Amino acid sequence: MLPVLHLLARRLGISLIVLVGVSMLIFGIARVIPGDPARIALGPNATVEQVTNLREELHLNDSIVVQYGYFLADLLKGELGISLYTNRPVTTDIAQFLPATLELVIFAGILMVGIGLPLGIASARYRGRWPDHVIRLVSLLGVSAPSFVWAVILMLLFAFYLPIFPIAGRIADTYEITRVTGFLLIDTLLAGNFSAFGDALRHIILPAFALAVSGIGQAARLTRANMVETYDKPYIEMAHAFGFSARRIANKFAFKPSMIPSLTIIGLDFAAMLGNAFLVEAVFAWPGLSRYGVAVILRKDLNAIIGTVLIISATFLIVNLIVDLMIALLNPRIRYSQRGST
Amino acid sequence: MKLLNTALVASLLAATSLIAPANAGGVLRLDEVAVGELDPGKASDFADSILMFNVYDTLVLPVQGGPGHAPHLAKSWSNDGNSFTFKLRGDVKFQSGNSLTSDDVVYSVERMKALGAGLSYLFGVVENVEAVDGSTVRFNLSSPYSPFVASLVRLPIVDKMHVEANAASDDEWGEAFLSGNGAGTGAYTVKSHNPQAETVMEKNADYFLDIAGEAPDTVRLRYGLEAATVRTLIATGEHDISSQWLPPEVIAALAKNGAQLLTESGTGAFYFKMNTTKAPLDDVNCRLALSTAFDYSTAIKMIAITDDISAGSPSTGAIPKGMFGANDASMVQMQDMAKAKEYLDAGKYDAADMELEVSWIAEVPLEERFALLMQSNFTDLGIKSHIKKLPWALFAEQVSKPENTPNISQLFVNAVTGDPDTLLYGMYHSSSPGTWQSPEYLNDAMVDKYLEEGRSAASEAERQAAYTMLNKRLMEIAPTIYGFDRQSVYAASTRVSAPALSDPAHAFGLDGMGFSFRLMEVAE
Repeated sequence: MLPVLHLLARRLGISLIVLVGVSMLIFGIARVIPGDPARIALGPNATVEQVTNLREELHLNDSIVVQYGYFLADLLKGELGISLYTNRPVTTDIAQFLPATLELVIFAGILMVGIGLPLGIASARYRGRWPDHVIRLVSLLGVSAPSFVWAVILMLLFAFYLPIFPIAGRIADTYEITRVTGFLLIDTLLAGNFSAFGDALRHIILPAFALAVSGIGQAARLTRANMVETYDKPYIEMAHAFGFSARRIANKFAFKPSMIPSLTIIGLDFAAMLGNAFLVEAVFAWPGLSRYGVAVILRKDLNAIIGTVLIISATFLIVNLIVDLMIALLNPRIRYSQRGST
Repeated sequence: MKLLNTALVASLLAATSLIAPANAGGVLRLDEVAVGELDPGKASDFADSILMFNVYDTLVLPVQGGPGHAPHLAKSWSNDGNSFTFKLRGDVKFQSGNSLTSDDVVYSVERMKALGAGLSYLFGVVENVEAVDGSTVRFNLSSPYSPFVASLVRLPIVDKMHVEANAASDDEWGEAFLSGNGAGTGAYTVKSHNPQAETVMEKNADYFLDIAGEAPDTVRLRYGLEAATVRTLIATGEHDISSQWLPPEVIAALAKNGAQLLTESGTGAFYFKMNTTKAPLDDVNCRLALSTAFDYSTAIKMIAITDDISAGSPSTGAIPKGMFGANDASMVQMQDMAKAKEYLDAGKYDAADMELEVSWIAEVPLEERFALLMQSNFTDLGIKSHIKKLPWALFAEQVSKPENTPNISQLFVNAVTGDPDTLLYGMYHSSSPGTWQSPEYLNDAMVDKYLEEGRSAASEAERQAAYTMLNKRLMEIAPTIYGFDRQSVYAASTRVSAPALSDPAHAFGLDGMGFSFRLMEVAE
């Protein structure tokens, strides 16, 4: 078997085990959160009889093992139960809210890589000089403030004082776009509506940037640190001796080996944004899965909590798998170590 | 990398160069904190009520600016003992085009009772409902229930044929369909419903009553907006009415920047509920001492938004002003420390030995301020207290047992039908202890008697007398510190005119009904 395929098969197997573990863990934890899910779902005016009936319907009076059995049986049928928060199937909610979050996170990831890495390269290339100092200062600012602070600052600056970008939502009320993928940037293009595409783009920039600021700072700092270390390697000195330009040395010889540790962290940052996006989603009224996840936890909506956590965990694992594959492609030693382990 | 950066820069430039679309005319945009439940059989909270009152209609409506109820889908009704018979209007069509018949009313009651959710408990007293003929429907009650007509403001009439056509074999009552679609006669139809983002409604051109031309053509009810977002949206003209849950400081700031303030009141109050089963609050003198020591005027100042408008008005007793049995508006509750000390001296417990647990609901930060105010007031009496923050879920669980219930709990309580029965019975009748509404665990024979009289009295005068006596008794035994009568305040753009939320002569006296969009006007 090809080393990369072997790596892929092994990682998929591990991921499956992790998902089962996560489902058991979250199933247990969700039931420890204080409060009766039936009482919370039915609201303050529900009678004791209504609460009792719903508890029965949700199997809440059964043991946790029996409840987990019901959950697994539903899962095998592709069902995650009804959300007590929205009164709809959890799968319907996830299908509606996940694309919004994925679109936001992917766009933020593109900003993180597209801005963070060049800043890191420039900082390393001009290390000890003023561009390096400026970039390091900006990076430090990025990592030191949480994303919701950036969200509010960006909203005030670029939506209120300088009304360049919209404040809330994914697209202006005036557009009606047929849902195909759920990703508005794609659906607007599929509809051939470039005005709507531009509007969707305007809506995503501030939330995505707020979400990405910390990652941009992190990516820049890591890339710089790794590249500075690489610059001390003898082969870089040899490249200088051969007369390669500073730009070529930075982009071609120093950048690639420096990417391996950075890529792992960037991958983790990217996946973590899925869970961390909820405050940015809240500030910009972005109807995504992270905001839904927090809402269902506060309402102890057991089915929705498990569904959301499983989806976020699965995405986290997929991103990690992609990062592992990219690292294997970048680093032959890792790729061939898979063959050795067979 | 170079390609990525080029694409990124190009995208940013393209996006910023586009001009933002102008505000749409005839569109009303407002927000509520919670997800909106569109199924009228499950509706219970404020957002649900707004949806219900606009997408569906009820047999009767509260009279605007006055007591009692007026015909709406019903053109008249009569009462014979435990039977109520309603004659339906003949000119009403559902949004599907089907005509309203008595079968729809029967179906709506049966559906609500079968689902057993939302406010279905209000109709537990309905033994059966029958279609006498196509336009006459009779409700037979199992026992006398005077507030029955008031309860009907919470019975939205559903289009039976339309729901049954969209029901499934494993979904007899069409729950899946009604969770995302409307099936009412209301002045607004549901265009789209995203429970986490917004519900979009459009004016029903075939509504059976006249709708003002200036009423909004489209309404966007948004959910879960942050206070900072709402403030920015209103300031930039992209939002029209805030929810009532904004911090008072934000509403005040918006008012300062030119927003108008809309209000809705008369259905509820803010109560400090004392656990009467645990020492020292099992002693009536101790409870009276705390009630008299509470600084009511400072509490009102704490919720003031402007010099003229506040999120509450001074309490006159257990029953909010405007309801049956309420005291005269001049009988405002006042702090009286000398009297409080007299009560304390007459009590069976020594102040030095007392330590009270004062709780506040974690989701309502305003309550922490009241907890601190109480702590300060009680310290002046020589009573120690500690403050405990409780998330709502934990609070609702704790109050199910008297021994776990805090000495003092703070709660906003509303009459869901506007009738005092739905406010007071659940709080004070001995048959309903251990719910979030009744952490007092009150067990008083006279209170029970007056509550039951209020339910069964045949005339309004008798009901008035029963609730007046009830109010007096509740003041005597003080299971609760009656903090203030609640008033919901909304910041709104000046392009909106909402008489039911700005003029007492047009107010409905029912939470959420002021948001009947057909009665609003929106300037272009």
